[in-house]
Amino acid sequence: MKRGAFAVLPLAAGAAVYGFAFGLLASQTGFPWWSVGLMSAAVHAGSSQIVAVEQFGDGTAVMSAALAGAALNLRYIGIVASLSEILRGLSLREKLLAIHITGDENWALTMAERARSPHVGAAFLIGSGLIMLAVWTGSTTLGAVVGSALPDLERFGLGFGFTAAFIAMARGLWRGRPDAMPWFVAFGVTTAAVLLGAPKAYAIVVGALTGLAASSIVRRSRATISQ
Amino acid sequence: MTGSYWLLIGVLAGAAFSIRVFGLFAGDSIRKSRHAWMLDDLPGLIIVCLIASSLAGQPMETWIAAAIAFAVAVLTNHVILTMCAGVVTYAGLVWFAL
Repeated sequence: MKRGAFAVLPLAAGAAVYGFAFGLLASQTGFPWWSVGLMSAAVHAGSSQIVAVEQFGDGTAVMSAALAGAALNLRYIGIVASLSEILRGLSLREKLLAIHITGDENWALTMAERARSPHVGAAFLIGSGLIMLAVWTGSTTLGAVVGSALPDLERFGLGFGFTAAFIAMARGLWRGRPDAMPWFVAFGVTTAAVLLGAPKAYAIVVGALTGLAASSIVRRSRATISQ
Repeated sequence: MTGSYWLLIGVLAGAAFSIRVFGLFAGDSIRKSRHAWMLDDLPGLIIVCLIASSLAGQPMETWIAAAIAFAVAVLTNHVILTMCAGVVTYAGLVWFAL
């Protein structure tokens, strides 16, 4: 467990900066500092939290904001499924703890270390996960404390921070040319829907579904070409 | 803090944990189904839609700041650098316009 805790420290430092920025933004949308810490400990999913808080601050209904955030977490179905071998032999309670503290960083680190040494397992995952959860919760809370003591930063452009964060996330999720057409369609349909007066939450759903349809067409045509 | 804040935290925490538990018990069969590609595609599509909804109908300053942030994201693939570049550009353009 100690090995995982020490190995993840460089990644935790990066997450701390990101967490501080999120805490700052969340406090400026009206979240008390302690609720930001509570959210980070209970949710433990950075991109989901950012999306949900941005949507909530934008006036979107609570359920729509939460579901938009949760949808970003769908990748965890695959991430947790890939841990089945590592989690084998643990009690159900330990498994539930392990999957809650699993994030992108400590999952990737555990898988990479395990590829080099098969002895790396649940203890490494849990040790690194506990550090990540503590650092994420602490840094977001600290950001919110600082943010709540500052005046309204919207006029200094801080509100654009969410959009910039989404652009950075998109860059991280880009997988190459097959994404181009579905992303272009999703962007265009969402923009058109908002300009036509649709509420943003619905525009996002319509855009994402249209993007999925475009992706299905791209996949089918690629499969046809490769046959 | 109003009830809506509590509701957001509660629903988001419940949904995040449920997805992980679902992955624990049904992840393998989901990954092997013919619809598994949707799990891979949906996060990126949602983020693109969020960007579009943030930019639609916004003034030129917002689009320029987004273009700068996009360029920094492509070059660095770094979240904090992208956020800093976007916010500084946006603030500079808004203040310059004033």
